[in-house]
Amino acid sequence: MTTVSNRRTGAGRPTVGRGVSRPGPSRNSLTHPPRTGAVLVTPAIVFVAVFVLAPLVFALYISFTNWPLIGPYRFIGLQNYLTLFQDPTFVHAIGYTLLYTAIVTVPILALGYFLAVLIRARRRGSTFLRTVFFLPYVVGLTTLSFMLVLEAQPNSGAVNMVLRWLGITDGSTAWLVNGPLATLLICVLVVWAVSGLTMVLVMSAMQGIPDEVYESAQLEGASWWQTERLITMPMIRSTLALSAIISVIGSLLAFNQFYILTQGGPGTETTTIVNAIYNRGFVNLQLGAATAESIALVVVIAAVTVFQFWALREKD
Amino acid sequence: MDRRAFLAGGLAGGAALALAGCSGTLPKVDARVASFGRNATGTVHVWCRSATQAGLTAAVAGFNKANPKLQVELTPVPDGQYVTKLATAIRGGEPPDVVDIDDINSQLFIFREAFADLTDVVKGLDYFDAISPGHLRLLEYRDRYYGLPYLADNSQLFVNTELFDRAGLDVEDATKDLDSMLAAAKAIRKTGDDVYGWSISGNAAGIIGFVTQPHVWATGVDMMSGEVGKQTANITGNEALERMLEFYRQLWKDGVLSKATYADAGTTWGADFRAGKVGIFPTSYGATVPAATKAMRAKMQTVLIPSWDGKRSFFDGGDNMCIPNGAANPSGGWAFMQYANGLQQQQALPDGGYFPTRSDAATPAYRKKYPLAFGPLDAIEKGYAPQTLAYNLLVNQPSSPYFAMFREAVFGSGAAAAMKTAQSDYTRILDQVQA
Amino acid sequence: MSTTASRAGLAAPDLSTRTLTTSGDGGRRRHHQGSVRHPRDTAVKRTLYVIAGVGATLVFGVPLIWSILRAFQSEAVITQAADPATFFQLGWQNFAAVFSPSSHLLTGVVNSLVVSIATAVLTAVIATMAGYGFARFRFRGSGVVFGLVLLTMMVPFQAILTPLYLEMNAMKLTNSLLGLVLFYTTVNLPFGVFVMRNAFESIPTELEDSAFVDGASRFRVVVSVLRPLLLPGAATAALYAFLASWTEFLGALTFLTKDSLYTLPVALLNLQTGAYGQVSYGNLVAGSVVAMIPCIALYVGLQRFYVAGLSSGALKG
Repeated sequence: MTTVSNRRTGAGRPTVGRGVSRPGPSRNSLTHPPRTGAVLVTPAIVFVAVFVLAPLVFALYISFTNWPLIGPYRFIGLQNYLTLFQDPTFVHAIGYTLLYTAIVTVPILALGYFLAVLIRARRRGSTFLRTVFFLPYVVGLTTLSFMLVLEAQPNSGAVNMVLRWLGITDGSTAWLVNGPLATLLICVLVVWAVSGLTMVLVMSAMQGIPDEVYESAQLEGASWWQTERLITMPMIRSTLALSAIISVIGSLLAFNQFYILTQGGPGTETTTIVNAIYNRGFVNLQLGAATAESIALVVVIAAVTVFQFWALREKD
Repeated sequence: MDRRAFLAGGLAGGAALALAGCSGTLPKVDARVASFGRNATGTVHVWCRSATQAGLTAAVAGFNKANPKLQVELTPVPDGQYVTKLATAIRGGEPPDVVDIDDINSQLFIFREAFADLTDVVKGLDYFDAISPGHLRLLEYRDRYYGLPYLADNSQLFVNTELFDRAGLDVEDATKDLDSMLAAAKAIRKTGDDVYGWSISGNAAGIIGFVTQPHVWATGVDMMSGEVGKQTANITGNEALERMLEFYRQLWKDGVLSKATYADAGTTWGADFRAGKVGIFPTSYGATVPAATKAMRAKMQTVLIPSWDGKRSFFDGGDNMCIPNGAANPSGGWAFMQYANGLQQQQALPDGGYFPTRSDAATPAYRKKYPLAFGPLDAIEKGYAPQTLAYNLLVNQPSSPYFAMFREAVFGSGAAAAMKTAQSDYTRILDQVQA
Repeated sequence: MSTTASRAGLAAPDLSTRTLTTSGDGGRRRHHQGSVRHPRDTAVKRTLYVIAGVGATLVFGVPLIWSILRAFQSEAVITQAADPATFFQLGWQNFAAVFSPSSHLLTGVVNSLVVSIATAVLTAVIATMAGYGFARFRFRGSGVVFGLVLLTMMVPFQAILTPLYLEMNAMKLTNSLLGLVLFYTTVNLPFGVFVMRNAFESIPTELEDSAFVDGASRFRVVVSVLRPLLLPGAATAALYAFLASWTEFLGALTFLTKDSLYTLPVALLNLQTGAYGQVSYGNLVAGSVVAMIPCIALYVGLQRFYVAGLSSGALKG
């Protein structure tokens, strides 16, 4: 819920009734001296600098070597970067990860949005619903993946049992051994598990929309979908945008569920970018090349994120 | 101010890293000292594979009780991350004292001088001649030994004697070479709808490598040739390999294997055999016997894996124990290693599903207690495991060329095309790893 | 001076606004309390709600309950096609195996609790401070710094695993739960900072200013006056950090070497995979259930921080 969107609709902006307030950085350097701000922010920076930026710098150095996991290394300059796309597994992983991201992003947002709509009216039982819908996220994608390993087994797993009971298949599908099927299963899992987060984010943003807006819309005879499209969505636009950004970054960095469920198989069919990097570094023991691939990935994600910020910014 | 903090943090981190990164080689362990392994005190840090933690926990308890001044601390590490974690620890300058490591991973470290040279103390053992040569090979580099074998995980053929009798077959005769086995398996398949002549997990890379390669090794060749670090692919023209692939292809085509073989990833390895539904089952002791009923065990018999021309072999899987260079307490480590190799400890290994690595463990008492666990010990020189830097990549990984070749040859277009692809993939990987 | 982030005008996930929905605006807004009769609440809509609600509950709840059931089945039953005869032969054997002496699972649970709670608290505190700083203060480079914090979210951990290990080793932070906590905190800071920055941004500056005028110290202001408004955001950051730390295994495995320090996911991983990559399913499901329970308990427990904001107006006009 941004100040900008509130300004647009002129409703629901938190005030204390004393006139226009202006959230955001204060210009009052007496009550909010810049130095204090810097101090407040320092612990976070130190953490990030020590535990992420420093290793990242070192990783950059590693990417210019042929650093093997075991044994001595030598400096080889830009060679890892120049041969980046000669690794067929890496190239395939890029395509696969993009495909995966494309498949899951919209359903996650849509399902999360739908769930939020379902519970925002706050009828009886909506608190219970909110708890249940968020539960898969609470349990976590890693634990859920472990559980799914069991349930995706042919003949004995729940997925196949249900399909057999419904008469769709004979229950012997080996989901995790077939590229497209495994991908489908993982996409369903991810949408199911992660939409709860979107729901929570969106719902709280929706809280900021006062009833009068809906009332006047209804008076004008707007349908449910029109209301959503023309009123709700623009008002929570920034939250939707942020959910989308977080979701895309998460999808591009997907690792755990693939590692646990298919190990990137069969062959390298379901290997995501981070899976490929992990294998290159820790199975093939070519840490130098793997790190170069990681740095490239970080750059790309940063670029994508900046682009998303720009494209989804408030044009105000 | 925040910028300064950020810079400070980054510099501090970077400096620490530079220092750490520059810690190149660790001090080599000198195992020639007369007192090596004796009079050691303090703590011994031992890493084990998660698969072996139960057995080692018992051994550690025994050792700690017998040596109040020298205590072992055991840390189990999941298989998938073992090599990484060890390599990282070595780089960080803090390796453990003893590693119980998958034997096929030993060469990775030995080749790069990360493990201690223990030749003198190993050769000085009074049971040195009884130690599994297959395991020792994996510890050897340029005629020096860099560790001590600990336990063996051997692949054998398990047969269901009841099914053999019903089909009128003699075990030794019917399993002497590939042709006889094919005939036997077919005969057994005919004895019942739900009875299968052979069982294998067609979609488990590790298992496939474990049980099928000995057919080739028995003839004295491997899928790679040459000295470690300079190996080349040996797929094309490998007759034993081709015959083995054809054999399995026939099993599949003739319906001797169950249909589930194609997708079976080994999650229930051995269940069908233990249920009495399979005639011949190449497998490990640990996957099959401990979970079997007493009645079923009475119907089991083991034979070594034959090649097409009647020679025998088996996979010398298992663990070696090594001491990384730079270990804090190498002397204490060697004391523990000797203990773990003691007859009493070795003879208790089948309880955990593994075999001893010394043939003198097969005493009459042992044979009586573990009738299915002394076959490989009596023919210990026939065991083999590839001495190479790329075993994992070549065979064990789901994306490995050996696995792909097997599946293509058996379920796909056949051995010829499969072997051709494998030859180039093997070459590519060996070049990459040995660069 | 403002960066892309602030120029884009995007706000962080804004769970704190729950408390502000009822802030006065000349009294024109209605308070949302309990089940409100909506003008559009027709019978049709109510039926749809019930159907959708029940359906969604099944979809979200049943798989979890099913897994709990599975954890009580024996390994043999789990790995074979369902047979009505054996399906409901339930027992504790999987849990017994998982809690056997050599598995150190109980230690793992304790370690995980310690690490996750410490991370949650530390993350919330640092994120609150940083959020306050970013939201309310103008200082040189704030945009760049914010961007760097954000960058943390985009780095795959595998890339910096080895350098980070070497660095932490040099700082003697490996093989210690403290080191793990510091690392986890860093990883969860971006989300937390986002949340808290937005929480602060939604608070009118007048509120602080009036408190200052009344002579309160800054610390007092934040802790006492702003607390009710910040609690949902802080709770969110803490919960997110807890959940992320609870199931993390790659870092724990890399940085911890002492068996007695292993956290729950690592202990579970040791139990679940055997040689040749075989999985012990009974252990796996039982372990997953063990991992699940504290998360759910914590989440349900933290509910009240959110509910409080929902049903009362925190700010009166």
